Amino acid sequence: MTERIIKHKILEDLELNTVPFTWNNTVMYGNEGESITAALLANDIRTLREHEKDSQPRGMYCNIGHCSECRVIVNGKKNQRACLTPLLKDMAIEQQMEVPYVVKEGSPYV
Amino acid sequence: MFDTIIIGAGPAGLSAAQILQDDQKVLVIDEYYHAGGRLLGQLYEEEKGKWWNGLRIAKELISAVEKKSEILINTSVYDVEHDKHYTVHTTAGVFDSVNLITATGAREKSNPLPGWDLPGVMTVGAAQILTNFNRVKPGNKGVIIGINPLSMVIAMELGYADIEVAKICMPQRNIINTKSPKDAFETLLSLGSSAPSKLISAGTVLAGKAKPLHQTALKMFPASGVKALGLPISIKEQVLSINGSENVESVTIQKTDAEGRPIPNSTYKIDCDFVCISDGLAPLSEIGSLLNLKHVYSEALGGYVPLHSRTMRTELPNLYVAGNVTGIENAKVAMLQGRAAAFNILGYRGGLSDTLRHIDDERKNAKVKFHKDLLSGRENLENIWQEHKNTVHS
Repeated sequence: MTERIIKHKILEDLELNTVPFTWNNTVMYGNEGESITAALLANDIRTLREHEKDSQPRGMYCNIGHCSECRVIVNGKKNQRACLTPLLKDMAIEQQMEVPYVVKEGSPYV
Repeated sequence: MFDTIIIGAGPAGLSAAQILQDDQKVLVIDEYYHAGGRLLGQLYEEEKGKWWNGLRIAKELISAVEKKSEILINTSVYDVEHDKHYTVHTTAGVFDSVNLITATGAREKSNPLPGWDLPGVMTVGAAQILTNFNRVKPGNKGVIIGINPLSMVIAMELGYADIEVAKICMPQRNIINTKSPKDAFETLLSLGSSAPSKLISAGTVLAGKAKPLHQTALKMFPASGVKALGLPISIKEQVLSINGSENVESVTIQKTDAEGRPIPNSTYKIDCDFVCISDGLAPLSEIGSLLNLKHVYSEALGGYVPLHSRTMRTELPNLYVAGNVTGIENAKVAMLQGRAAAFNILGYRGGLSDTLRHIDDERKNAKVKFHKDLLSGRENLENIWQEHKNTVHS
């Protein structure tokens, strides 16, 4: 289980302003203004995306907007970097999935 | 039209704005949702009882800057043009300025190894921001792959938040990961007075005087590592793979000799729920590339840096650089470089020469050195700059 660090040996206590949001239509709670990455991790969600090609699970990697591994759908808008997007009340966040391969024959990955 | 646009609201960018804003109209742009850059996660003990609390320093800088300057967060810069002035294209619109300061900082280098794309694998910087800024544990028990100043400092920070680090060791040696136990040992030595064990501190003194003793110290480094500053450091163990189906579940570790050669039948697993990969930092110089600046490769500075003078000038008029985009150093140097760029823009020679002197002092006294050859790297770059200047003018 992932936990929040409310009390810290050196830093000030964490102030929480809990707000609801949804992850794949399930209601969860996060700290308003924290990154979507942090809010989901605090709910023990590590898989933020399925790889477009082979549906393998992907999660946050760099946490500074550089690697783009954490792309999610926010209020219907695709490819939002979760680590750069602050959580707002009632945000609807969804996982991006494998992109369907529509051509019937042959392999797209040669 | 702004007098100066600063790209990057980290220690360098905010420090530049703080100087400029009394005389100029300034805009600071940052992609993150909070100004402060990498200051936000920094936390380490400089001397007994004296803490470098980056978050507090960031908040002080932000409150000094936001009253007089405009800080635009959540905004990505995707193009910059130079004509009579600078035109900066961002996700929040197009802005113009007379002067431009690039203070874009650095990225973490990470070399791939099997299983590195599993959820729960992250850079050490990612774990630092989660722990000290987001205040969510990256996991309960982690393994750090890569022995360098950044990974050591962040491992300690995880400890302050009661997150267990089970092992800090090497990645498997291959065509990409070329560092040997000897390199890691030298890193530990270069930490000098903050070196994480008495064995190593003693080694530092001895190594400087007699090479053979250095080799002996390396050979004597315990096979399962040392427990120092609460950190389980192991230069003679390497991670072969990160394992798990949906999330990180374990890492497979192999023991090596002092040369990094695997010891047969020595592999074992450590259970963990997160892994940090750390291979040091590299300057982020895309803006310089967009403007077609000449870049110089310097191992000591962390990679390609835009050619610049020690006073933070570049080849283009009114274009300045500051912070880690100029080479990997600590936040104090970045802040001073930001001030130097600002004094240069304002033509305030006294302020500039004072600041340059402070930078020299800070480099000599820095507690954690990111690269042992930093000073000569800086000197080489200045020589290339001087040569370039003479070529242009002749």
